[in-house]
Amino acid sequence: MTLRGALFDRAKIKPDEVSASVQQDLIEALRLGLISILILLLAAFLFSGVIGPLFALGSVEETVTDVLTRLALLALPFVAYIAAASVARRYTWSDTSKALGLALTSTIVLFLLISVGAYAFDYGVFAPRPSLQMTLSQTEAGIRVEAIVPGGAAETAEMQVGDVITAIRRDAVDLAAFNLRLSQSEEDAPLRLRFLRGDEEMQETVRVAIVSDKQIRALLPGLVIALVFTVVIVFLPGQWAPYIALIGLLTPLLIGYFWVIIATFSYRTEGLVPLDSKDNFGGFTLENWESIFVGNIAGLEFNIWPILMTSLSIAVIMTFAVLLVSSMAGYALSRMNFPGRRFFLSFTLILHGFPAITLLIPIFIVLLRLRGIPLIGQHIGFNTAGGIAMVMVAFQLPLGVWLMKGFFDNIPWDMERSALIDGASRWRTYWEILLPQIRPGLLALGIFAFIGGWNAYIIPATYSIGTGLSNLPVFLNELIDETAPVDWNQVAAVGLFQLIPIFIFFIFAQEYLLNIYAGGTKGSS
Amino acid sequence: MAQPTVGSSAQTSSRNALKSYLGAYGFMAPAGILVIIFFLIPVAIVLYLSVTNLASSNFTSNLAAMEFIGLKNYETLLNDQFARKIFFNTIFYVLFTLSIFNVSLALIVSLLTTHIDRGAGFVFRALWILPRITSPVVYILIWKRMMAEAPFGILNQFNDWMGMPTYNYISTNPWVFVVIVNGFIGLSFGMIIFTSAIESIPKDLLNASLVDGSSKLQRIRYVILPLIRWPLLFVFTYQTLSLLTSFVEIQLLTDGGPGLYRTEVWSLTAYHRALSNYFGNAQWGYGSAFAVLLVLIGVVLAVIYMRVFRFDELIAEPRVETL
Amino acid sequence: MKVTIDNLTKKFGDVVGVEDLTLHIDDGEFVAFLGPSGCGKTTTLLTLAGIYKPTEGQIRFGERVVNQVQPKDRNIGMVFQSYALYPHMTVFQNIAYPLKLKKVAKNIQHERVEQVANVMGIGNLLDRRPGQLSGGQQQRVALGRALVKEPDVLLFDEPLSNLDARLRLTMRGEIKHLQKDLGITSIYVTHDQVEAMTMADRIAVMNGGHLQAFDAPDELYSRPKTQFVAGFVGNPPMNFVSVEVSRSNGRFVAETDLLRLEVGGDRGEGAAGYNGAVVMGIRPEDIQISGAGDIAGEIFIVEPLGREDLIDVRVGPHSFLLLASTETQYQAGEGVKLKFDMEKVQFFDPQTEKSILWQQ
Repeated sequence: MTLRGALFDRAKIKPDEVSASVQQDLIEALRLGLISILILLLAAFLFSGVIGPLFALGSVEETVTDVLTRLALLALPFVAYIAAASVARRYTWSDTSKALGLALTSTIVLFLLISVGAYAFDYGVFAPRPSLQMTLSQTEAGIRVEAIVPGGAAETAEMQVGDVITAIRRDAVDLAAFNLRLSQSEEDAPLRLRFLRGDEEMQETVRVAIVSDKQIRALLPGLVIALVFTVVIVFLPGQWAPYIALIGLLTPLLIGYFWVIIATFSYRTEGLVPLDSKDNFGGFTLENWESIFVGNIAGLEFNIWPILMTSLSIAVIMTFAVLLVSSMAGYALSRMNFPGRRFFLSFTLILHGFPAITLLIPIFIVLLRLRGIPLIGQHIGFNTAGGIAMVMVAFQLPLGVWLMKGFFDNIPWDMERSALIDGASRWRTYWEILLPQIRPGLLALGIFAFIGGWNAYIIPATYSIGTGLSNLPVFLNELIDETAPVDWNQVAAVGLFQLIPIFIFFIFAQEYLLNIYAGGTKGSS
Repeated sequence: MAQPTVGSSAQTSSRNALKSYLGAYGFMAPAGILVIIFFLIPVAIVLYLSVTNLASSNFTSNLAAMEFIGLKNYETLLNDQFARKIFFNTIFYVLFTLSIFNVSLALIVSLLTTHIDRGAGFVFRALWILPRITSPVVYILIWKRMMAEAPFGILNQFNDWMGMPTYNYISTNPWVFVVIVNGFIGLSFGMIIFTSAIESIPKDLLNASLVDGSSKLQRIRYVILPLIRWPLLFVFTYQTLSLLTSFVEIQLLTDGGPGLYRTEVWSLTAYHRALSNYFGNAQWGYGSAFAVLLVLIGVVLAVIYMRVFRFDELIAEPRVETL
Repeated sequence: MKVTIDNLTKKFGDVVGVEDLTLHIDDGEFVAFLGPSGCGKTTTLLTLAGIYKPTEGQIRFGERVVNQVQPKDRNIGMVFQSYALYPHMTVFQNIAYPLKLKKVAKNIQHERVEQVANVMGIGNLLDRRPGQLSGGQQQRVALGRALVKEPDVLLFDEPLSNLDARLRLTMRGEIKHLQKDLGITSIYVTHDQVEAMTMADRIAVMNGGHLQAFDAPDELYSRPKTQFVAGFVGNPPMNFVSVEVSRSNGRFVAETDLLRLEVGGDRGEGAAGYNGAVVMGIRPEDIQISGAGDIAGEIFIVEPLGREDLIDVRVGPHSFLLLASTETQYQAGEGVKLKFDMEKVQFFDPQTEKSILWQQ
């Protein structure tokens, strides 16, 4: 019984902090908030102060690091609020008022802290911006000057309190338009204002100053956003978070594909808005889709069905060829002993490093030569379906062989031994016993190959000049090359036409594609 | 029953071995021949082309008839004032696209989609695969529309609605879009591999960690991430090499511009020099010099990865022997 | 079919799988290879099957040297631990596969498969796939597949270890019965000494790639030639204690710091010839708890086995396992006296671990 005493001591496995008082919780929340602020500041500094300048040394003209810096700084307050609110969320469902109190208090403290930083460094709402250094308000008559900063731009231009601004040059403006115009102005840009002083209509030219007016009032919207955000975070059900994150990440794609769908059903678009010929909302049409099946786009006549069949046969034939060739090599590498096996295996890996696409020219020369071979040259050289097929299969091999080898590796050796003892040759073992068992792998690789074959463009386009061997991608490019002006909405329709079958295929195939890890990339761990 | 064949056993043995080796080579043959014809010979040819001045003006497919000019192409390349910039452009492009999208976001997306309703996960992954299966022309068209100037651009339309100034994004932030556009395509590869790896973790293990008292986040940190170390390395390796050689999307989006080589990368240069009539004359020899360096970098990287990540440990000995 | 293994050595690179193994198996004999995992028994089996190539030595089936004969030409049947049933084939196709490969006519295939399946009691399962079968049924299919081509030699690689205890008992009997009926020379690899003892005509005990003993089960049990065999054969295992045996007044005494036991003349004689300590082994059933005993110990743990209790008694630092009737309820912590049946003890050389009593 002393053993029990020695092994188990309940008192020792309690968590560090037990019942935290409100103060302790608050301190922890603030601590987490501060840590996130520091991390994001550090990231921002890293992007703008280290990585950006380093690449500038290599004369890379990029704005990616700037954008990342701005993103980090933009996200900074919100990440801090989330970090702080994560402490409050412990009490959301047990003690709502405590949770809210904690979260809001820490948010206010963090907000003030960030604001002080922004004030000190002229950042965010305190950043210098184009200003005429007067306070304005919208009235019936126009924009009324409420106050003027002494010594500022407006005073220099002799504006007076009570003036009612009606227009910049000849453009009538309201306050919103005025502010937009102002925000786009550069330093010292002259703005000729028309205004009413009393009943008199006057003009003055005010030169734009870039100043930080540092009005504490400007913080208010930020504070409201922060508090609302915090409340949302406190009450947000945890299982929603992944969905929100996923949709957030997907937004650009969703918008983009939303546009492309609208575009194919309309004459033209501005942004996401479809327009008719008179620039009004509307202008929906099925013409873009119709013309695909009618077979005439801007004078280019074609029949879509043979093109579709070519696409399909390229994809199907390539899929089977890739599967057969890769699985045979994968089987030998996984299961057979022969001189040079280690070399072939390492070489398969190194093959990943061969930039196949930059070998287009030499492959072109090889195909020209193959064409010269008697008898079979007619089928495998330049400008033949066989030649194109072989090149495409070859390009898929590095991934294919490696994946197949991995799948074969995972089949128990006893299966193979049993087949050999039953009297099977290696070929029969491969074909009748092992191949049926790596079906998941074949499906996964097959899906990759099929997608690759369906979308194949560069190789058919490069090596089948003038054979009429065109699949959908090649046709799409012909459409762009041979019609002028290019009707991009029409192009988009053809592109979607090409996308839809493969997308549907993928939806059904995804389950099988997810088996890909069962082989291939599995390590020795 | 056959009589004992004592005496000829050494012969039988080597005959058996030879037969079995021939069998193995038979299995290897289709892949081997394709690799030789479409990888090895082309690499040899590209090496050879890089020491000739072959161009569209003096094209011949007869290797012997090409004019040998030694290392002049490489000299030109090294003295090319833009080669340095293009080199660093390439590093920048690979580094940022790889680290932000192909690995990090791919991991995040696969973690997110495996921690929600299974059906919803499938839907999200299907949406993420769109960029990869959309024809590049249309995919790039979408992004061009996204960043076009007002009134056509989608982003600028939002800016307009929000009362913010509009920008010509293609000239202000070309790299941002090059990275995002390629990243959205590259992400799906990692996503598929990672998701598959996460799904292949035994359910017992995942349940055990929950029983042991870990939260979902702790489980990701302490169980899932360590277990998918290998796929992480694999994606990292494979995608570095893919990014190094990809150029179609950049060509369609910016074609290396705006301005002089602002978003030009190495493989695009090889393509420009060799295939597109950039200067009115395709310089195949000079383009090959770029291609050779790219092959070299690719192979060196592949070898380094193999050593560092010990991929060769995967080479287990077969457990059926030749008699 | 006689199976002769002469000086067989199998190495994997530098790792030794089996070393210098010589074994002659008679026609129709059932031989078990027994040993802990990694002892080389499965390696030997796979070498016999032709999956591995012998590094040295010779294997003969009958008079025919099979070193270079392909597995398919050896006419053997093999049952694997994992059964290795082809998951994409039905039970019928699985069993018929060896016949199909021999290009046997379709109708004969049917006839043979049905015969075998009926013997194995799986005649009603022929259309199922292995995934739909229970472990015991899969086992029968695997056995059927091995038997269908009327092999000269049957090889078993721990075929019962994936079955539950009750089924294992049934299958054990069935396999033995079948083997005797068919009279096929069989080699059976197992790490379970009960399986080996109950099924085999002779047992080859292996350890570390070496043959330890090759003998009939009762020989191995009562006259173990090495300490390893003594410890491995028998359940619960033999107790070992290091003692010094000396002769005093014409009698032999084995003693340690705590024990002092008188040994019978014939067994003591050899042990006494040794200078210093020898290892004494005694089987659990040869120790009794008895008031008349002269060794005092304390019960550490009592494990009820149903028919009897397995009791671990500690005598100082030494631990002795023994079997006691369930009638007396012993409790852990209780002090007891032990009586050793000194006519049944074994003695081993501590250096060579060879038996002092039964020289090879």
